[in-house]
Amino acid sequence: MPRHPGQRFALSQRQAAVVLLLPFLAVYGLFLVYPFFKGVWISLHDWNLMEVAFNPDAKAYVGLENYERVMWGRNIVWGALASPVLQIIGLIGVCLSLFLHRTGRAGRTTALTMGIAAVLLFVLPGFHPGEEGRWFDRRFWPTVGNTILFVGLAVPGVTVTALLLAAALNGETRAKATLRTLFFLSQVLSVTVVTLIWQIMFSPRQGLIANLTELFGGTPITWLTAEGFAMAAIVIATIWWSLGIAMILFLAGLQDISKDLYEAAALDNATGTQAFWHITLPNLKRTITVVVVLQIILHFQVFGQSHLMTNGGPNDSTQVLVRYIYQTAFRDSDLGRASAMAVFLFVIMGSFSILQFVLGREKDQ
Amino acid sequence: MSGVQLQNITKTYGNVQVIHGIDLSISDGEFCVFVGPSGCGKSTLMRMVAGLEKTTGGSINIGGREVTRLDPSQRGVAMVFQTYALYPHMTVAENMGFGLKMNGMPKAEVAEKVNEAARILQLEPLLDRKPKALSGGQRQRVAIGRTIVRGPEVFLFDEPLSNLDAELRVDMRVEIAKLHKQIGATMIYVTHDQVEAMTLADKIVVLRAGRVEQVGAPMDLYNDPDNRFVAGFIGSPAMNFLKGQVEDGGLAISALDSAPATDLRLPADGTGVEFGLRPEHMRVDPAGRGFRLDLVEKLGGVSYAYLEARTGERLVVAESGESDLVDDMEVGLSFDPAQAFLFDAQTGKRIR
Repeated sequence: MPRHPGQRFALSQRQAAVVLLLPFLAVYGLFLVYPFFKGVWISLHDWNLMEVAFNPDAKAYVGLENYERVMWGRNIVWGALASPVLQIIGLIGVCLSLFLHRTGRAGRTTALTMGIAAVLLFVLPGFHPGEEGRWFDRRFWPTVGNTILFVGLAVPGVTVTALLLAAALNGETRAKATLRTLFFLSQVLSVTVVTLIWQIMFSPRQGLIANLTELFGGTPITWLTAEGFAMAAIVIATIWWSLGIAMILFLAGLQDISKDLYEAAALDNATGTQAFWHITLPNLKRTITVVVVLQIILHFQVFGQSHLMTNGGPNDSTQVLVRYIYQTAFRDSDLGRASAMAVFLFVIMGSFSILQFVLGREKDQ
Repeated sequence: MSGVQLQNITKTYGNVQVIHGIDLSISDGEFCVFVGPSGCGKSTLMRMVAGLEKTTGGSINIGGREVTRLDPSQRGVAMVFQTYALYPHMTVAENMGFGLKMNGMPKAEVAEKVNEAARILQLEPLLDRKPKALSGGQRQRVAIGRTIVRGPEVFLFDEPLSNLDAELRVDMRVEIAKLHKQIGATMIYVTHDQVEAMTLADKIVVLRAGRVEQVGAPMDLYNDPDNRFVAGFIGSPAMNFLKGQVEDGGLAISALDSAPATDLRLPADGTGVEFGLRPEHMRVDPAGRGFRLDLVEKLGGVSYAYLEARTGERLVVAESGESDLVDDMEVGLSFDPAQAFLFDAQTGKRIR
């Protein structure tokens, strides 16, 4: 390229790239990479938030002791039938993934992922305290269980509802456009507003749900304080809240499916439900994968709904991992142990991120 | 017996009428081509036969059955789409068998029919591939295979070759013609390409602005067009038209020095006419006068000479063989007046 006379510095393409990337890299490093490694470092220390704040030397290196105190216990043994339901489901999962792979119904990555998940489901619940043994932290694994239960309910809930809504609202009429906006609107609310709305909705005295129940002669359920219903209540609020993005992604996916395919299907005697099953769903496979993995990553971080609606109760039944981390760090001032749990959460979410990356690159054969 | 009868078919979108009362009868085993410029309603008309567009008025009969209000799948038709519309998530075999599967046919029977169609179209090595792994021509063949498997009464082709490159288009055109000979079913074929229409059709339906301009066998349309539009549409390169009028019971064509002799029954003096000459029915006369030779395109077997008349009107002349004409020459034109066509300039109707 000819140089202009007034041009003093000429950057090569590579140099220009570095210059343009620098601001991002600086922010990314300062606010993400550095805190992450700092967190890992803290998790290796006995680190009381208050004491260290006043006296930086009041921390002690303890190695992996925090991890042991969070995740392990005294006399922990493993049994193949310690938690029969989960472990049997795990075993069935292992067989199923082998079967699906052998018969060619699932790709290699899918089968492998399923297999690993199934093996974990078989192995992990098998650990339990033996005679005179106990967990060092009795609340950690139940909290992990609650979080997984929450994710397990919220993700399919959001995905299925958003998919059905998107299928119903995919069209050019004004009514559909209005409804799309309405359904997306909840997404922009903050968690405080969402939980407030749903606390009122679930209120046994003035709530809409209670009023409807009474109208039909039923006794109102005390959603937020009944142990069997509290988790359901925060799942419902969450589905309502995070429907929008998933719906938009599905709508984008639906627009990508050519109209010709539906016309060809109509000639092939597949309309309505048949067309949805044979044409829409298979062509949305990639979008569904993206939505599911994104939702999993998002919902493992659930905090506000549990913190604001139920305070983790009743009887810890809605206590979730991030809330437990928050309490350990800022109520109990045990920053070391909280960081260890945070690293644990990172590993879970990191594996789902990797999964999404792999599935995103995998070309469907 | 699986002919198609259209009776007074109309179609309106809102208050715009796009099809204006079409009557048409296609007999059993006939290859019928709908041809016309874009927006003439040819695709809409075929989609109404398929049931993909609702029919506003009139009735459609297929094989003696009234199907106007039936679902697409119940009409006994199968269609090849311009974009092929293959199901991307299914293999070739699944694509071809999907319709039968949806109609509840047992798997073994479906497989048998798919294999039979694959044999006809030489698709056997591709049966396990997904559409993505096929070339344009192969996809086209799968789309055709999908229709054969269904064993329909009527095959519909919606501009099936327009996504293929020129060479492949000729190959596929021949294959479709062969296929029609082989299975002898009724076929309706939509195209804007008059060459496809001429080469494939038993019967051509020329459409313009939602109306039928003329129906007939290809050579009948070529030799005996009813109006200026059909004359200009059928034939390549297109017919040349020169403006003129009837004077003293004879023709006066401004671009021509001498009035062409004619034994047609001419209308009253003063009527505006257009004098139509096909490029292949004229000769350039190097010794003559009256036209400037703009350009000569030499294609080997034939050369196209582009002429400009004194009136500014342009003509194309097809000279067979190699031509020794030079650009910018002053030339004349010779032709046999018996091969010329005459049209009313106002109505476009042929004057016979």
